[in-house]
Amino acid sequence: MLDCDAVMRQLWDYLDGELTSEREEAIRAHVAVCKRCYPQYDFERTFLQALEAARRSHSRPDVLKARVLGALRAAGFAA
Amino acid sequence: MSEANASRAKDERFRDEALPHLPAVTNFALSLTRDESKAEDLVQETYLRAYQAWAQYQPGTECRGWLFTICRHLWIRARKREEREVACEDGDLEALGAAALHTGALQSGLGDLFERYDVRRSLDAALDDLPTAFREVVVLVDVEDQSYEDAARILDVPKGTVRSRLFRARRLLQERLIEHARDAGLATRSSGGDDSTAGAET
Repeated sequence: MLDCDAVMRQLWDYLDGELTSEREEAIRAHVAVCKRCYPQYDFERTFLQALEAARRSHSRPDVLKARVLGALRAAGFAA
Repeated sequence: MSEANASRAKDERFRDEALPHLPAVTNFALSLTRDESKAEDLVQETYLRAYQAWAQYQPGTECRGWLFTICRHLWIRARKREEREVACEDGDLEALGAAALHTGALQSGLGDLFERYDVRRSLDAALDDLPTAFREVVVLVDVEDQSYEDAARILDVPKGTVRSRLFRARRLLQERLIEHARDAGLATRSSGGDDSTAGAET
């Protein structure tokens, strides 16, 4: 049985899907019933969602695509 | 197959396999350079190098990761390997540091920080301030959804280094976000006055 300390150490590995299925299940079971670990899990999960949404995008993707294709064609690209 | 047909087939494969990743490579370049004009140059150079080296690409392997690797190598070369070496912390300690940080946030009434506060702008600023070695791993894993193993291959570092840098980066970002939230007056309690987590273990 995992204790809270072990869960805290592996919480990010768990959220990143980097653990074995056995360890993943053990952490899932612990977090579901632990009043100390669940808020931490929820905090980290929401943080990672915010981080994922921080994706930067180019303001003129079509212009950049045309520029890249132009450079490729000058190098012989013909598709 | 004639030479012309082989060349056309090569170009068609490049068009079908490499070009669809242009938006992801652009995002990655933007994350590295933090500057749209520099990112444009980097993306163009990345695609030119990829096209020239297309014969070395192994069909069926992860083309996006291959392009990220080229992009990063070009960028590092341009920066003369600046910031490449960083102190590497222990991943477990960083994870425990984050747990302590969360306890502090709870004590300040910021446990639901990411739900009631639009962190986008603060997060952008915090990402800008991260040392490059930390920023690139966050972008690869958290934004571009690469596994630790794929990120390790792209960054040419051991998987354990990816883990420790990633966890350190996340902790630094959280520290900055909590700081911003406090500055914005969102903390409802001074830290140290709440015992909501005490004695609640299973």
